Amino acid sequence: MALILQRLVAPARRGALKHSTYECGEEVEGSAWTQFNIRFYVIALVFLIFDVEVVILFPWAVVFKDIGLVAFVEMLIFLCVLTIGLVAVWRRRDLDWVKMVLPYARGRYARLTRDPD
Amino acid sequence: MSNIQSLTYFLPELILTSSAMVIILTDVFFRGRNRNRLIWLLSLVALGIAAIFLLLQTTPPDAIFYGALAVDPYSRFFKWIFLLATVVIYVVSPYSRELDNNPRHEYYLFMLLVVFGLFLMASALDLIIVYLSIEIVSIGSFVLAGFLKQERLSNESSLKYVIYGALSSGVMLYGLSLLFGIAGSTNVFDIQAALSGVPDKAHLTLAVALLLVLTGFGYKIAMVPFHFWTPDVYQGAPTTITAYLSVAPKAAGFALALRILGITFGSSPDMNLGEWLPVEGLPFGTLIAIFSAATMTVGNIIAIQQSSVKRLLAYSSIAHAGYMLMAAAILNAQAVSAIMFYLAVYLFMNLGAFLVAIFIHNRYGYDEIEEWKGLGFQAPAVAVAMGIFLFSLTGLPPTAGFVGKVYLFSVLIEAQQFWWLAVLGVLNSVVSLYYYMRILKAMFLDSEPTGERISGHPALSGTILLLMIPVLLFGVYWSPLMNLVRSSLEFFSPGM
Repeated sequence: MALILQRLVAPARRGALKHSTYECGEEVEGSAWTQFNIRFYVIALVFLIFDVEVVILFPWAVVFKDIGLVAFVEMLIFLCVLTIGLVAVWRRRDLDWVKMVLPYARGRYARLTRDPD
Repeated sequence: MSNIQSLTYFLPELILTSSAMVIILTDVFFRGRNRNRLIWLLSLVALGIAAIFLLLQTTPPDAIFYGALAVDPYSRFFKWIFLLATVVIYVVSPYSRELDNNPRHEYYLFMLLVVFGLFLMASALDLIIVYLSIEIVSIGSFVLAGFLKQERLSNESSLKYVIYGALSSGVMLYGLSLLFGIAGSTNVFDIQAALSGVPDKAHLTLAVALLLVLTGFGYKIAMVPFHFWTPDVYQGAPTTITAYLSVAPKAAGFALALRILGITFGSSPDMNLGEWLPVEGLPFGTLIAIFSAATMTVGNIIAIQQSSVKRLLAYSSIAHAGYMLMAAAILNAQAVSAIMFYLAVYLFMNLGAFLVAIFIHNRYGYDEIEEWKGLGFQAPAVAVAMGIFLFSLTGLPPTAGFVGKVYLFSVLIEAQQFWWLAVLGVLNSVVSLYYYMRILKAMFLDSEPTGERISGHPALSGTILLLMIPVLLFGVYWSPLMNLVRSSLEFFSPGM
């Protein structure tokens, strides 16, 4: 219903530029309609931990001098909480790219095992 | 109150979050065979400590973190409901066979985080906290609903839950942003003050904002027409989680909705005053009454044709949200106390009914009504308990459900408004009798005694029988519970 309505009401001005993928203002390279490896999903989540951390650190750094010790302790606790997240991810081997036991593996890849869970 | 001072009032929540972190670390560093048991025990201890701090918290109503959260008897009452529901689910979770093939430690962790979110929901006084707490609860519930990774239904339920959750919280955010646009503040008391002085022209905006905010709240309490996720999620999720979702987040949704709507759209910022009137010109009562009528009618009528007991109970939980919304159309002190009383009673009877469903599921692995045939002969005690839960859900005396419904109806009768809604509520109760009795008939009448006995784990059967006691007790001697509700009817308001 809503889809039909907007089809009828909305003006259609199509163009090659409008249909191209948005890449933060960069020159477009290829289509977004490709398949990604599902493992990127975990990487994206881990990235989020640090992303949020930095976003919060910036305003904190601006007012740090005014608040002083309290701000320092508060941010320390916040960073500890985030670190726990990182430790959990690390221990659960979500940071390892190669996860399987490879029959022909040598060197440091020989010690890799399956996900412990 | 400033942040550091606030921490002393925030101890139960702090215990929950810090123990969640301890559990994450235990989870990754302890690799022994008893890991599930250990984490189960740790979480129960955390809940126990949180309960002790909650018990010691007897300060007068106050707002902490610069007015973002309320610490008052009203929120404490709901926190007890959440703790009780969580502990019951924790106790029975190790004996649910559905969960056997999955690592239970993460399940316990997510439940702790959900409890934290529920605590925030019960005490939110700021639109940011409203949104944040709903999201904390939702994201935890998404994971829990899809916990049975090998089962298609569970995956489906999780996906549907995520999509509906994202949509409704988006719509709710739009409503909240409208409110912020009108008032220029995210604090509910500031918004209330701003709304009382709105010129008449803005009332259309206000009504739209109310409707959009109701979408988010309605999603949490499974109000028609935002209920479409309920049957699928309830059917696909592990039965323990279904039981939890049908009780705790629903209670939290009501706690949040009553407080936020009551203050924001009320003509006075003080919820402690007995009489409550909406901002002039806003059709608050009529709107809620229409939603209530739709919710109970749709819930009851669709429940009739369900063959899966979990789906049937899902529609019945929609219908119960409708009964409670009936009183919310008035929203005076009596109405709020009636809803709180009903939620407390609903906790026992609905958890009880779902625990019996776990009992059956452990035995047969399905939840079709067929499997219930002959339960009355195979496990008489559990079947009788189920009968009592069903009577209570229908609202027949001498059970607690009857008393709860009487209070809900008396709100409408004494306010002398919405007669049609009360009549519709009574008619709906009659309809609900039919499908509840179908389960009862299957248990006692549809098969011959075969002499076969089935017995669940004593912890499961014991919890079922324990839950039966309050349902019967509050049906004949409910004044202690009502007194507790009345003494909990104290809200924080800035004038105090």
